Amino acid sequence: MEVTLSMDPLFLAWSCFRRRKFQKCSDLCTKVLEDNPYDQAAWSLKTRALTEMVYIDEVEVDQEGIAEIMLDESAIAQVARPGTSLRLPGTSQGGGPTPAVRPVTQSGRPITGFVRPSTQSGRPGTMEQAIRTPRTANTARPVTSASGRFVRLGTASMLTHPDGPFINLSRLNLAKYAQKPNLSKTLFEYIFHHENDVKNALDLAALATEHAQFKDWWWKVQLGKCYYRLGLYREAEKQFRSALNHQEFVDTYLYLAKVYQRLDQPITALNLFKQGLDHFPGEVTLLTGIARIHEVMNNITSATEYYKDVLKQDNTHVEAIACIGSNHFYTDQPEIALRFYRRLLQMGVYNCQLYNNLGLCCFYAQQYDMTLSSFERALALVSSDEEQADVWYNIGHVAVGIGDLTLAYQCFKLALAFNNDHAEAYNNLAVLELRKGHIEQAKAFLQTAASLAPHMYEPHFNFAVLSDKVGDLQSSYMSAQKSEDAFPEHVDTQQILKTLRQHFSVL
Amino acid sequence: MSSVPMEMKDSAVSSSKWLDAHYDPVANLYTFSSCITLADLHGDGENKLVVGDLGTGAGNMKLKVYRGTGLLSENTLLDLPTGLVSFLMDQHEPRTPAIAVASGPFIYIYKNLRPYFKFTLPNLEVNPLEQDVWNQARGDMIDPLTLKEMLEGIRDKADIPLSVRSLRFLMLEPQEMESYVNLHKQQPIRRQTVITCIGTLKKNMADDDAVSCLVIGTESQDIYILDPEAFTILSKMSLPSVPTLMDVTGQFDVEFRIIVACRNGNIYVLRRDSQKPKYCIELSSHPVGLVRMGKNVVVGCAEETMQSFTQKGKKLWTTYLPAPVTTMALLDLPTRGFQAILVALANCEVHVYRDKNIVSTIKTQDVVTSICFGRYGREDGTLIMTTKGGGLIVKILKRTAVFDDKDSISGPPIAQSIRLNVPKKTKLYVDQTMRERENAVAMHRAFQMDLSRLRLAAARAYVKALESSLTPMSTSLTEPLKMNAVVQGLGPSFKLTLNIQNTAACRPVMNLAISFLYDENLYSMRTAFFKIPLLVPGLNYPIDTFVECLSDKGISDIIKVFVLREGKSTPLLTAHINMPVSEGLALN
Repeated sequence: MEVTLSMDPLFLAWSCFRRRKFQKCSDLCTKVLEDNPYDQAAWSLKTRALTEMVYIDEVEVDQEGIAEIMLDESAIAQVARPGTSLRLPGTSQGGGPTPAVRPVTQSGRPITGFVRPSTQSGRPGTMEQAIRTPRTANTARPVTSASGRFVRLGTASMLTHPDGPFINLSRLNLAKYAQKPNLSKTLFEYIFHHENDVKNALDLAALATEHAQFKDWWWKVQLGKCYYRLGLYREAEKQFRSALNHQEFVDTYLYLAKVYQRLDQPITALNLFKQGLDHFPGEVTLLTGIARIHEVMNNITSATEYYKDVLKQDNTHVEAIACIGSNHFYTDQPEIALRFYRRLLQMGVYNCQLYNNLGLCCFYAQQYDMTLSSFERALALVSSDEEQADVWYNIGHVAVGIGDLTLAYQCFKLALAFNNDHAEAYNNLAVLELRKGHIEQAKAFLQTAASLAPHMYEPHFNFAVLSDKVGDLQSSYMSAQKSEDAFPEHVDTQQILKTLRQHFSVL
Repeated sequence: MSSVPMEMKDSAVSSSKWLDAHYDPVANLYTFSSCITLADLHGDGENKLVVGDLGTGAGNMKLKVYRGTGLLSENTLLDLPTGLVSFLMDQHEPRTPAIAVASGPFIYIYKNLRPYFKFTLPNLEVNPLEQDVWNQARGDMIDPLTLKEMLEGIRDKADIPLSVRSLRFLMLEPQEMESYVNLHKQQPIRRQTVITCIGTLKKNMADDDAVSCLVIGTESQDIYILDPEAFTILSKMSLPSVPTLMDVTGQFDVEFRIIVACRNGNIYVLRRDSQKPKYCIELSSHPVGLVRMGKNVVVGCAEETMQSFTQKGKKLWTTYLPAPVTTMALLDLPTRGFQAILVALANCEVHVYRDKNIVSTIKTQDVVTSICFGRYGREDGTLIMTTKGGGLIVKILKRTAVFDDKDSISGPPIAQSIRLNVPKKTKLYVDQTMRERENAVAMHRAFQMDLSRLRLAAARAYVKALESSLTPMSTSLTEPLKMNAVVQGLGPSFKLTLNIQNTAACRPVMNLAISFLYDENLYSMRTAFFKIPLLVPGLNYPIDTFVECLSDKGISDIIKVFVLREGKSTPLLTAHINMPVSEGLALN
């Protein structure tokens, strides 16, 4: 108490802010403002503290919500040229592993080594698919709409202020604040991040940039952010371009690339990143951006090259290490993947997924003594039912590998117990049931797997084989056709289709 | 010629043997090769294209005549045409051919594009039992239901099949029977057959402008040869099966051969002096196209092959095609002494074969369904095709085109020289195998110990899951069930669909109920308990219910679903549904 009495409260609040004790800082500012409501310094500091509490990095990739995906009114060519669109799966430039080796996501892209927004979802084909996918926060699958999520963040911060908001936006004279550069910037960030009122933020930014005679690049970037949030991508592009003319800045490049990805112009985005790299050689975020685009466009080999470039600059980049590791794993070099995952472990990443991957790598690289202990660790570290289901599923794979089908059966069933929507487990369980001769059960499981994951070719193919064996050639043919749709190059499907066609045509 | 797309002109014309004369993608022509022919209808030396258009299949059937690129005339047809030929029926001048359109049991003859004569196939013998039954119905001695029963009895046993009227009657709903019987009982029963294919045969001279007879194949497995002037039946032959495709050569008064492909997959060769087929060729799959080249028969089969036989049934060769055959025709250029086979394929290509060697390939814009080669207008080598989408394509064979026979590609298949992308074994891998070799025993022991521990852990977790019925499928012998749940919606109201399936082989499951367990502060359910109907094995039963999210704080919870059996407290199945966060805000 002695200390606080002797210290200037504003200075103390400033010190708290620098030590990232935002709540305390805001409380102190509130006290100062109670004494003197017109203290601009305290007011500004409080807005900054409140903003920092809910600040999210706008530069990072964000998800396209259902509204943006399904209600996209900009018509695109139905058949884009190969390698120019993010929306069409299968516009692969070759060289990547097939779905038989590397599992694919719903949109038909190979799964990545690092879960970030929009890596798992892609574009669902139908509204039905879009609203059915689970959308819990931890699965990183499509959220309904970006604005919905931001509103939620906003309301969460409102809960801490039971006696009303700090600034009443509707009574604010934006034109007055726009004249004061020292206040307007913090006020803008407060409106944009804390209140999530993009419309007012846009008004303020427009007034402020006018006051700065359209020469302040910062305001242009903020205008672009507002336009982006509102879905006005062409306007956002204009603002960012103009800001880049004033001042070359990494963030602006990233924002602009985000706009181009939204506009489905991956090639332009790539060119922009390369342009950015000319000004900022070796910039990690730009390199990562390039690698991500290559990855989304199924060009895994180039993606790996760029991730390697990232590692040359920043050898602790988790995403790059994980992606290169998973690429090595799926290109039949588990021993190298093991190296990368061990590196992650040395860096202090200590979670269920990593141990799970280590276990798989050890198993496929024939380091059997470490395989199962890794899985045990993974099981001990699980934080959700989905993770537990995935670990049991992978243990099931190991059990199939060593021929212990009882254990495999138990593991796949456990995977299903923890995650009822685990289509892969349903499929594998069906195969085990079929080996036991339980045809009805196998059929039911395969049908469930097919309905849960229409993008997987395995359930369809297995169903075709099963029906073929039972003698139901019509269903076999239909399933084989679905399997062909999901994975056109699958040789076994082609073969079964060929024999069926022959069967149908022969007298 | 304006409708030819630009890029096609550029790329195709320079190298191809064909000139693109006309392409109309919306000509609205739906037809097959049997209903298309080229004839000099007006005797002015200019050949017209005559098409029997099938329209929509239910209506809008037309007889269309094209001249150049334009439609010359259109006549409405009463029924679907099954075949169309042009033939000279008399010696009168000017020598203009007549058009015969076969549809149903009739042949309509058109002269100068006006209806001229209608020929009806002779009636077939009616089953006397059927006649009796209908006589009784006429005398109101039996009611429609008895009539139905008796007709069904006749249908199952009799050698002579029922008439169309009786068959139609058997299809009716009980309430419609009475009026149907009253409407038809006074008329005598007739049994008619329908025409399946039609061809022409020169009467007594081999000249191009000689008088021809009509040769028709019918559903009753007969072949009739008709006199061109009086339309009397000159000859009747019977086949073991229903003819579908036909080729005729020779002259009726001298010697002729009729090659018929039948619905049982056999090809029969008929000759002048025999009532029964002389030779039979048994195919391995259904014939799709039949073309005679000189003395040989070339057949396109449903199993994507083309086979050639002599007329005595000796097989000459087989070619494998890249796609199923849609139709076939003969390319005959008598002025240059060139004959080849045109094969239209389902992959939008038309191949020209000379014997078994491919000499030219034409890419088309759509799948070709009918094809015809001959003199059109004043041009001798014209190829006319209509497509599945109703388009009309006309191509002209270049006079400078040379077809050179090249034997099909020989040598090793290309796949032999493709290198597989097998990653190299890394040094790391070699090091690790060294380690494995040196510490084999220790590694094995560690693995075995871990394995037993893991088996124990798995078994424990499995038992726990079984005891609390956590798995979404039950394996009990009496109720083998499987359930999965789907949540739809953005919130605050969600639709919860439970898919329940009985996986038993044959035993139904009954007396089941479903109940839910959830936080009542967070969710409300319209019905939190309901009974399941009897579950038939193998069928999927979707059961819907609606969940309302009461909180607006962006919190989500688990809803537990239990499938219960009446009289037992432990659930058979449990499913945990991770509810999505409610994105929508409830209106206050």
